[in-house]
Formats: sequence, C-alpha cells, structure tokens
Amino acid sequence: MIAAWTLVAVALIALVILVYVAIRNRTRRVDLEGTIQAFRSLDIEAFRNLVDSAEEAFLRNHLPPRKFREIKRQRAWAAFLYAWEAGRAATALAKVGQAAQRSLDPEIAASGVQVTENAFRLRLQTVRVSLRLLTEVLLPGRSSRSLPSLDQYEPAAQTLFRLGRFPSGVQRLARSKSA
Amino acid sequence: MLPMNWHKALSLFLWITPHILLGVLAVVLCKRRLYREFPCLFAYVLYEIAEFILMFTLYSMPSVTGEQYTHAYYATLTLSIALRFGVIDEVSKELFRESQFLRVSARRALQGVTGLLLVMGLLLAVCAPGDSSARFIAGASVVNRGVALVQCGLLLSLLVFSRFLGLSWRRSAFGIALGLGVLTSVDLAYSALRAEFTSAAAAEYLNLLRTGTYLACVSIWIGYLLAPEPESASPTVVADDEVETWNTELQRLLRQ
Repeated sequence: MIAAWTLVAVALIALVILVYVAIRNRTRRVDLEGTIQAFRSLDIEAFRNLVDSAEEAFLRNHLPPRKFREIKRQRAWAAFLYAWEAGRAATALAKVGQAAQRSLDPEIAASGVQVTENAFRLRLQTVRVSLRLLTEVLLPGRSSRSLPSLDQYEPAAQTLFRLGRFPSGVQRLARSKSA
Repeated sequence: MLPMNWHKALSLFLWITPHILLGVLAVVLCKRRLYREFPCLFAYVLYEIAEFILMFTLYSMPSVTGEQYTHAYYATLTLSIALRFGVIDEVSKELFRESQFLRVSARRALQGVTGLLLVMGLLLAVCAPGDSSARFIAGASVVNRGVALVQCGLLLSLLVFSRFLGLSWRRSAFGIALGLGVLTSVDLAYSALRAEFTSAAAAEYLNLLRTGTYLACVSIWIGYLLAPEPESASPTVVADDEVETWNTELQRLLRQ
C-alpha cells in the first residue's frame, strides 16, 4: 500500500514538473544580458587556482589536518560555484548558438553549430566537475586528482569571436521563440 | 439511480471523445505531412482508433463477458505500449538531431536512464506485487505500472535534460512529449492504485481519471501540432554590438 501511494506522489511530482517546463518553455527567450553577466562573474584564473593540485599539496603540507579540511571544503565550494555559473553560461550560449543556427546567412548558421556544440560540451564538463567538487566538499580529507579545467571556453570563445567578425548587416541572429 | 446514469454518461463521453479527437489528430498529421517525421506517432494514433473500435464493439456485445473484455483490453494494450516507446524514441531523435555531439552522448545517457528505470520497475514488481486476491488484474497493472514508470521517467529526463542543456524544442515534438508525459505520469498513478484496489467500484472511478487524462493528452497533441512553428528568422534580432560585447567578455575571461 505504501508503494502505491509513493508512486502516486512520484506521478504527481512528475506532472508538476511537466507543467512547469511547459509554462517556462512558452515564455523562454534568449537572455543576452544574463549571459553577459554570467560570463562577467567568472574568473577562470581564480577557478584554476582553486582546483590546482600543487596548491592543494602545499596547503596539506603546511596546515594542520583539521584546518586543511576546513580550507579545502571552502575552496571546493567556491570552485563548485564557479563551475555552476560556467554551466549556466554554457546553457545560455547553447541557446544563442541554436538561434544563430537558424540564421539565413550560412556562415552565421555554421558558426552557430560550433557555438552550440562547444556549449553542450562545456555544460556536460561542468556537471562532471561539479560532482567531483561536491564530493570534495563532503569528503575534504580525500586526496583529489587534478580537476579538468573548463577548457571548452576557448573553442566557444573562438567561434563566438568569428560570429562577431562577420560583416555588419548580416549579423542577424534569429532569436529563438520556439517552445 | 440518477448519479449512476451520470457516471455512465461521463464514462462514455471520456471514452469516446478522445478517440474522435485522435481521428482529427490523424488528419492533422496527414495534412501537415508530419507522419513522415513521426511515423510511430501516426501508427500509434491509427492503432488507438482501431483498438477503440474493437473494444467498443466488444463492450456493446451482450455475449462478451467482463473477463473476456478485460483480457482483450490487456492484449491490445501490449502493442500500444510498444508504440509509445517508439514515439518517445522519435521525440528524442528529433530533439538531438541538430547536435552530433548530443546524438552520441545524450543517447548514451538516456540508455543509462532506461536501464535504471527498468531496474526500479522490476524491483517494484517484486517488492510490491499488489492485491494477491485478483491475480490477473493486479499482475497486468503491475506490468503496466513498471512500463509507465519507465516511459514517464524517460520523458521527464528528456524535458529536464533539454532544459538543463538549453536545447530548443520544435513545437510539434515538444507537444508530443508533453502530452505523452502527462498521460504516462497519470498512468503511473492509475496503475499503482489499480494494482492495490482491484474492486469494480475502484476501477470505475480510476477509469474516469485515466480517460479524462487521455482526453487532455490528445487535446495537447492537437493544440501543439496545429499551432504554427515559429519562424526560423524572427524580426527580433540580436544587434551587432551585442555579439561584439559577447566576444569581448569571452576574450577577457580567457586572458585573465
């Protein structure tokens, strides 16, 4: 009997999520301002420093274990927030890339494909990084291997740069309004 | 006496109307040539109409017993379930069609989700086998419950995954996923309750919920398939300087 009511609750939650996604999709726009703000908030060098294994080894050797765990937890949490924001920015990038893909200009459309692909890769990479960082927040005593950097920014930036260098007048990227 | 008549009238209305609307949906799929993109959905719609004609005929024949009707219902349900999986596959292919990277990685992730959901469905079937006094109905409902869990989970994963990655849905594909998602989530609740409450009275009320949801699902499908697809190039454009600002920001980030 408990299983039946649990499944009813699960079904209701699924229904609520479906309705929420449907409503959100109707009002979705490509948020350029939000994307720019998200990129502004990121300091990739600081992120690299936070996940640097040499830095961690130095702290481990120079701090008492308890203090080290405390510091490491804080560093992992800060790095997690960076990765989280990078992921959100990647999602916004993907939306813009897909909008560009629908452009009538074949060059912009081709660049849009690249932006989208890179954004997807970056998004998935941030998930992996975030999960590992969360593990470190929970188990700060564990020795961590060096984390993969968010190096997908570079290809994403290059393709976006190419998008921006197209002759003016054809830089018209369709804004997605689709559901 | 009066409430009983109302109940029967409502049951018939909720049973017949969605199938009439499915006929409308079949016409829409033909007229918009969407059967080429969604052949499984088209097959599912035609199959559901044919199934309804068969079941309604059996229902109207006094010589057919309740048990025979139930067996026929569950027999026809099998192909319906298989076709629904086909529809989910079509929707996921449509969602990932623009990205080569996602076609590989997302499909792999979805296979993982399917495996996980299958294990959950099987575990549920073993741990919560339902009312043992009505073995056939409870057994069929337990199977249906597992299937609904997998289908609902898959559709939910698709919707959440697309939102998480910032994937754009085509209106038609989104409508199909949404409608089927609503139907399978209510199916999950229905089958879970049906496995526990096997009495005729419980079945009557639960059937109202199921057929009502089916009506809602078909309406969602028609609504989304009739709505025009948004223009690929909208008059609202991103200005040159906005793209430049992006580039500047990205380069600044990389140089830091």
